[in-house]
Parts: sequence; C-alpha cells; structure tokens
Amino acid sequence: MQFSNRSITKRIPQAILILVFAQFLCGSLSIALADQAQADPAGTATGDKTSVVDAAGNPFVVPEPTDTSAPDYAKNKKDFEEFQTQAAKEPLAMKLADGVGHTRIATNFSWTLLTGYLVLFMQAGFALLTCGLVRKKNAGHLMMLNFAAYVFAFLAYYAVGYAFQFGAIAVNAAPSNLGGTPTLNHFLIGSGQWGFLGGKGFFLTGPAYDAGSNCLTLFEVVFMETAGYIIVGAICERITFWAFLLCELFIGALLYPISGCWVWGGGWMSQLGSSMHLGHGYVDFAGSSVVHGIGGFCAMALAVILGPRLGKYGPDGKPRGFPASNIVFVVTGTFLLLFGWMGFNPGSTLGATDLRISVVAVNTNLAAVAGSAAAMLLWYRLFGKPDITMACNGMLAGLVAITAPCAFVSPTASVIIGILAGGLVCAGVLFNERVLKIDDPCGAISVHGYCGWLGAVSLGIFADGTYGAGWNGVGSAAYLGKAGQGVTGLLHGDWSQFLVQLGGATLLAIYAFGATYIVFSGVNAWRSMRVTREVELTGLDVPQFGMLAYPEDAVEMLTAGSQAPQRGL
Amino acid sequence: MKRIDAVIRPSQLDEVKQRVNALGVTGLTVSEVRGFGRQKGHTETYRGSEYTVDFLPKIFVTIAVVEELVEQVVDAIVEGARTGVIGDGKIFVSSLEDVIRIRTGERGPGAI
Repeated sequence: MQFSNRSITKRIPQAILILVFAQFLCGSLSIALADQAQADPAGTATGDKTSVVDAAGNPFVVPEPTDTSAPDYAKNKKDFEEFQTQAAKEPLAMKLADGVGHTRIATNFSWTLLTGYLVLFMQAGFALLTCGLVRKKNAGHLMMLNFAAYVFAFLAYYAVGYAFQFGAIAVNAAPSNLGGTPTLNHFLIGSGQWGFLGGKGFFLTGPAYDAGSNCLTLFEVVFMETAGYIIVGAICERITFWAFLLCELFIGALLYPISGCWVWGGGWMSQLGSSMHLGHGYVDFAGSSVVHGIGGFCAMALAVILGPRLGKYGPDGKPRGFPASNIVFVVTGTFLLLFGWMGFNPGSTLGATDLRISVVAVNTNLAAVAGSAAAMLLWYRLFGKPDITMACNGMLAGLVAITAPCAFVSPTASVIIGILAGGLVCAGVLFNERVLKIDDPCGAISVHGYCGWLGAVSLGIFADGTYGAGWNGVGSAAYLGKAGQGVTGLLHGDWSQFLVQLGGATLLAIYAFGATYIVFSGVNAWRSMRVTREVELTGLDVPQFGMLAYPEDAVEMLTAGSQAPQRGL
Repeated sequence: MKRIDAVIRPSQLDEVKQRVNALGVTGLTVSEVRGFGRQKGHTETYRGSEYTVDFLPKIFVTIAVVEELVEQVVDAIVEGARTGVIGDGKIFVSSLEDVIRIRTGERGPGAI
C-alpha cells in the first residue's frame, strides 16, 4: 500500500490527538474506578513486611481470620493474637521485616527484568534464524519484518494489549512475587472466575503506571513479541509490508492479549480448577500454547491465506526445496534462542526467591538437546543425511514443548517430552509440505504450533506434583489428599488435569487459527496481501524497501540498465 | 600467440597455478563460473523436498602464451587438473590475433 506524503502529514496530528485523548480518558477512568489500591510509580511503597515469606511461602505476618464459620477459625484467631502480642513487644523486628520484604521484591524485580532482557534478545536469534533459512534475495525483507514486528506489536501492546491481558490480574492471579499489582483489578468482560478480558491499564496510565506493574509489562511484552515474530517464518518471501504491519497490530492488540488473559491474566481458563474442579485449571507455565501455540496457529492461517511461494510446488504437485542461504546464521540464531530461553522459562517464576528456577533451567536445556538429537537422528535415518536446519528446528521444538511443563516435571520427563517434540516437528514439516501443501519456509507452524500444543498436553501427562501447590488457587492446603501436592498429571494420578490441558490447548489452537483466518481473509479480499509475481521473482528487497541486504550482489540480481548500485567505490 | 582457456575443478586451481607458474608463464586470469558437461548436476534433499543442482561450480582459467609454450602449458594444466573422475573439465586452445599492454601501449608477443 502506498501512502502519499500528503496523507501521512495529515494523519500525524490526528494520531497525536487520539493519543492525548486516550491519555485523558485513561486518567479520568482510573479516577472513576479508584478504590483503596493506589498505584506506586516510584516503587517506594512496594514490598513491606507483608511480602516476607519463608521458603515454603508461608507469610511472616499472620492475617486476621475473617470467616468465623471456618473449622480452624479458633486456631487461626489464636495464631493471629499471638503474632500481635509478639509484634507489639518487638517493634524493631517489624521495622526490619519491612526492609526484608522490600528486598525480597527487589530481588524478584531484578530476576524478572533480567530474564526479560534475555527474552528480548531472542529477537536477534529469530532474525538470524529466519534470514538464514530463506533465499538471499529476500534477506533485507526478512530483517525488516523481524525488526518491524518488535516496533509495531510493542506499540499495540502498550496501547491496549497489556490492559486486555493483565488489567484484572489482581482478581485471581496477583503476582505476589512482584508486590501483587493490586491496582489491576477490573475485568472489562466477565467477572470473578469467568473473566474474559482485562480492563485496566490502557496506555500504561493510571493503575498501570506502577513499579510492580511495569516490571510485569516489560517481561510480558517480550513474550507477546515472541508470538509476534513467530509468524514471520511462515509468511515471509511473499507478504507485503503493509499487510505484515496489520498482522503485528492484530497480534499485539487483540489475538495474543485475549487468550493471554484467559490463561495468565486470571481469566476463565485458569480458573477452571476452582469453578469446574478440573485439576488446577488450565496450566501453561511459560507459554507453550499461550505464546508459541498462538503464534504458530496464527502463522498457519496466514500461510493458508497467502498460498505457497512461486515455484514451491511443481506442475506435478511435488514440493521443491529452496535451500537455506546461510546455515551459519541458522545455527547461530538457534543458539541465541536457546540462550534467550534461559530467560523465557526460568524467568516465568517472576522471582528468584522461587528456587524451582534451577530445575526449570535444567529441564529446558534437556528438552532442547533431546529434541535436537531426536530430529537429527530421525532425519539421518529417513533421508540418509542429517539436515542441519531440521536439527535446529528439533532443538526449538524441544524448547517450545518444555515451555509449558518445565516447572512441573522431572528432568527425565523433560527428555521424553523433548524426544516427542523432535519427532513431531519432523513429521509436522513433512505433513505440512506434502499433505496439507502449506508452504512454511522456516517450519514455524510445526515448531511453534504443533509442538506448542504438544507441550501443553504433555504437562497434563507428566506433571509429578512436586511443584505448584495452590496453583490457580486450587488445593493450597492439600490436593489429592496430600498436603503440598502441586500440579499433577495423568501418570501421577490426576485425570482431570490431562483433560483440561488437552481441551485447553486444542481450544487455543482453534481460536488462534480461526480468529486470524476470519480477520485476514477479509483483509485479503479487500486488497491482496501478497506481492506481485514480478516482485516475488526479483526478491522483495528492492521493490519493497529500495535496498538490498547485500548490494554487492546487485550486478547478479538486477538487470542491466536499472539503477543498480556500483560495485566497489 | 595462443589463448588457452581451461574449465577445471575449484579444488585443482592451486595445483594448476603452481605447475603453470613453474613454466614461466607471466599472467593468468581466473573466474568463478558454473556449468555442466558430461558430469551433469545432482539432486539433494532440503527439509524433505528435493532440489537439483544443475550447474556445478567450476574455475575458468585464461592464459595467453607464445606459440612455443602452448604444449607445455596444456600438459601442465592436464597434470594439475586431472583426478580421473568425471567432471575434471576441459581445455580450449584458440589463436590470438593481438595483445596490448594497456600501461605502455606495447603490442604483440612482447605484451604478453
């Protein structure tokens, strides 16, 4: 789509007006909805003695019991009074506890922000990986897509995405490791255990202009970005730039935040344990389905709408290989992603005071190597040579699959999950290419979509109950008749967890594919999202961006007489 | 004067260069080229789908020599480039009308 300069200059003041109006609206809205909880932009009121807990998570401050009909009311009341007497005797201890509580939150801030920065750097890994996997004539196009994905999806998430996803997190899923963000407490659609859409914190103003909330924002926005650039791998080499920007705005503002609210924002899927007695509700630790599944199935819908690249299928319908242009980029990018994943999964505890982080990190790595080994060996057996790009896809498949269960399973289960994912990604690539005839240049659908679904389901099979007591508000006292029993899968005795995982992961896949397909079929009918045949054959770099990634190739790529840059000086 | 063009395997370039140099040849021009002969291309698999490499990478060597050196240079190239496996390449010999050294304007055999 060509915007004329005139229309752009006309639109800029309009855009600024809208922003100013939104700022005003959010300010007044937050005043109208104000309750006892106050935002804390300076962070000076976040973390006091109420944030102090022991290793098992028991609070230092004993709360006053309110429910007089509870069976252990008398004991709780006695504990409370005892605490009050001691507190009155030792005021210095209470002061110290305030400092300890603040330090605990600060430790968790450091962890969450640092792991968030690691996830941010996965962007570089994705850019290298996808750029290396396509033809050289589209290298600039690939880099620009990865770059613009970060830019535009971020802005959409800032404007509305974050509020939709986390605007009601304090209702059911307050992140106590970050101080609880008590100001994000309103569902726009739904309420209580049946929340469908968050409704506070638009444009990060008012209730979201808060130190704890912004810590969450930084960490969560880079997760959304992951879903945002997953799609690049499936739609590259043929999508127009304007259509791609629409895709990113759609993901950052709507597609990802809506389902993200259901699972991570305290929405209805996370509460199925309390409301329908289905295990611990739908559980996805770091986003196999919430992030990768959504990105992968959104990518699938877009790839179906766009159709395969020219020449991908011969007249006989047989798929042809378009070899990767830079294997060095592919492998380097994959390792950057593995490194970033050390933030993605362990960081999802939102706190270093949760010592399960070491198990999470080991599990994540184990699944990665198991996935890669499985894909490498399987390909070796099937085709006689281990394909380097499939070995990399296998590692990513293992990572994607372990992302949901990483905190709840044992290292051995992680290896099994990794192997399953390594096998599934190979089968998925061949199935898409040969049976469905969906052209997915980088294997994004198979890696992120199929293996994301597998990861969420495998949680329901392999979770061993050692972690996650009280997850989503289920079984804080005891679960399956055992005190301290956490999220438990099929193999360890909880059928209902498996059912909710299977149903939930499938529902999210259908949601991502369906919503994307409906919206972008409409867009494509209005104006073709695909570049013209000539542009696709030349390569998208010069027609779309006016420059080549490697200008020294110009002599080979452009016909004589065009304004090819000169070689050398 | 003759012009000798040889299409050889990239791996044999060093061998050929050394042997030709030893004969006292003063200049040699090399280009990277692609093509096929009797060796033809071959088929590979990428992510489970086949693709064919129709044109194989070769090195194209051009040497201008005086008549007396032609046979020796041809022998040197053959010795240096031969592996005995299909795909070793070809040598083309043609007559050369004139040679001009750009710096001085010299012409004929003296310019080689």
